[in-house]
Amino acid sequence: MMEDQEEKGNAENGIGRQKQVKDEYLLQFLDSLDGYLTLLDSLSSTLSQGWLELASARHAMGASRINGALLDLKVHAAATSLKVSEQDVDSMESQPCFTLCKWASSDNGERSSGEEKSLSPQLRHRNNSQLSGIISSPVSFSHFFNFFLSCEEEKVSTRTGTPLILVDQQQRQKSLSVFGVLVSPKLRSAQLSFERALETLVEIANLHTTMLSMFEQVHKELENTNG
Amino acid sequence: MYGFEAMTFNIHGGYLEAIVRGYRAGLLTAADYNNLCQCETLDDIKMHLSATEYGPYLQNEPSPLHTTTIVEKCTLKLVDEYKHMLCQATEPLSTFLEYITYGHMIDNVVLIVTGTLHERDVQELLEKCHPLGMFDSIATLAVAQNMRELYRLVLVDTPLAPYFSECITSEDLDDMNIEIMRNTLYKAYLEDFYKFCQKLGGATAEIMSDLLAFEADRRAVNITINSIGTELTRDDRRKLYSNFGLLYPYGHEELAVCEDIDQVRGVMEKYPPYQSIFSKLSYGESQMLDKAFYEEEVKRLCLAFEQQFHYGVFFAYMRLREQEIRNLMWISECVAQNQKSRVHDSVVFIF
Repeated sequence: MMEDQEEKGNAENGIGRQKQVKDEYLLQFLDSLDGYLTLLDSLSSTLSQGWLELASARHAMGASRINGALLDLKVHAAATSLKVSEQDVDSMESQPCFTLCKWASSDNGERSSGEEKSLSPQLRHRNNSQLSGIISSPVSFSHFFNFFLSCEEEKVSTRTGTPLILVDQQQRQKSLSVFGVLVSPKLRSAQLSFERALETLVEIANLHTTMLSMFEQVHKELENTNG
Repeated sequence: MYGFEAMTFNIHGGYLEAIVRGYRAGLLTAADYNNLCQCETLDDIKMHLSATEYGPYLQNEPSPLHTTTIVEKCTLKLVDEYKHMLCQATEPLSTFLEYITYGHMIDNVVLIVTGTLHERDVQELLEKCHPLGMFDSIATLAVAQNMRELYRLVLVDTPLAPYFSECITSEDLDDMNIEIMRNTLYKAYLEDFYKFCQKLGGATAEIMSDLLAFEADRRAVNITINSIGTELTRDDRRKLYSNFGLLYPYGHEELAVCEDIDQVRGVMEKYPPYQSIFSKLSYGESQMLDKAFYEEEVKRLCLAFEQQFHYGVFFAYMRLREQEIRNLMWISECVAQNQKSRVHDSVVFIF
């Protein structure tokens, strides 16, 4: 009888722990969903701000100075790249993890030739119709995304002692130099807004994979409970 | 001494002055802007503009409209009016009217050269050029590799040729050299226009001196602010300022060493006409500076119409129309981007 009671107690503890784990997964899923929706909202407002600042720069500098026809079609590697790596969540599965390497920082200052090859063919395949629509319409963000990824690469390294913040500033100016060297502060603000939007996108992508992973866990737990 | 223009101006300039004053009456009013600012879509804007002088230029445009289409068609109207005035003008008014377009010509030259440097198609670049700045051999600009060739192959036969003497080098064209070329050309153009107006004398000289001096000063401020944090040295910056204007020469010396917007404010506030402009801005802010300058410019341009028998009205009309087109562009962008709350950030009312 004592053994029966002990077994019953253990079973109840097991059920309680299972419920706790299920609740934990559910909470994590809801947290990630909340974070995802918040970031989506933040992305939307950052992009709106960026497009308006771009229109404002165009208003100040003139349409002949800021238009899609000035974007550089010469083949060059991107100064900003996206690294996708696999992150082990548990021993059974892994999920992709996205990392943004901005403005050829010291992390990717010596990029392998394989990575460069994977980036540049995509840049080469951009066509005029995509680019001409970039500045004049807020519709295709992905095309403007490509513009800020496309910048002549410089092998900048912190071994030279140049502070990274200055390196970033130089790369930003270089990216804007397609519109001229003396550009309005409004254009620089637009650039910063789109840069922030890019960072938010990467955060969204990471949160999205976390969210899907949590959803899988919750789904699995529900199936175990029902089974 | 001026005042005797009343006796002789109308012989050659009377008809065109009447024409330009008629054109001026067609500028959009505050009521028009209020209607436009309340539009929900670009088609609504087209509908409101159909009741104005822009109507015939927009009526055949199919939906969905684009902001660049609205700007393009409104610019066509300005070009038609300009060409009508130019073909009716005699010397020296015809030369004066041509001077008004040289700024656009410089912008077009830089657009073609920059686009070619970026391996863009020449036809695509020509479509983006301002119609007031077109000239016959403009497409040949794509062939030049450096400024010497640019001058020798194309620009020697254009009105911009005299402005190139300070730019001619054998250095290859890159972004920095092109920027310096743009600003050097514009500086030479403004100085030449100023001297031409001084030679005309009378009310034209007085009114145009004020307008061109304001333009030179505004340029100096914009060059200063835009060059903060760039590789442009102080000496190079100083060389880009015009050799006339209220800020010349002491203001330019101080602007050349400014490292941030607050230092620029400190320099400009010493000059009473610009004190009112900078008083509208808060410290460290430069976003509203463009609007403040445009508002001051519009005030001065409208005052040009208060006097008769001078060529300043032609310059003022062209600039007021360009401001109106900028207003329409901004309103269209705010409507297209669903940001109507920001429409008053950059609209400058003319009346």
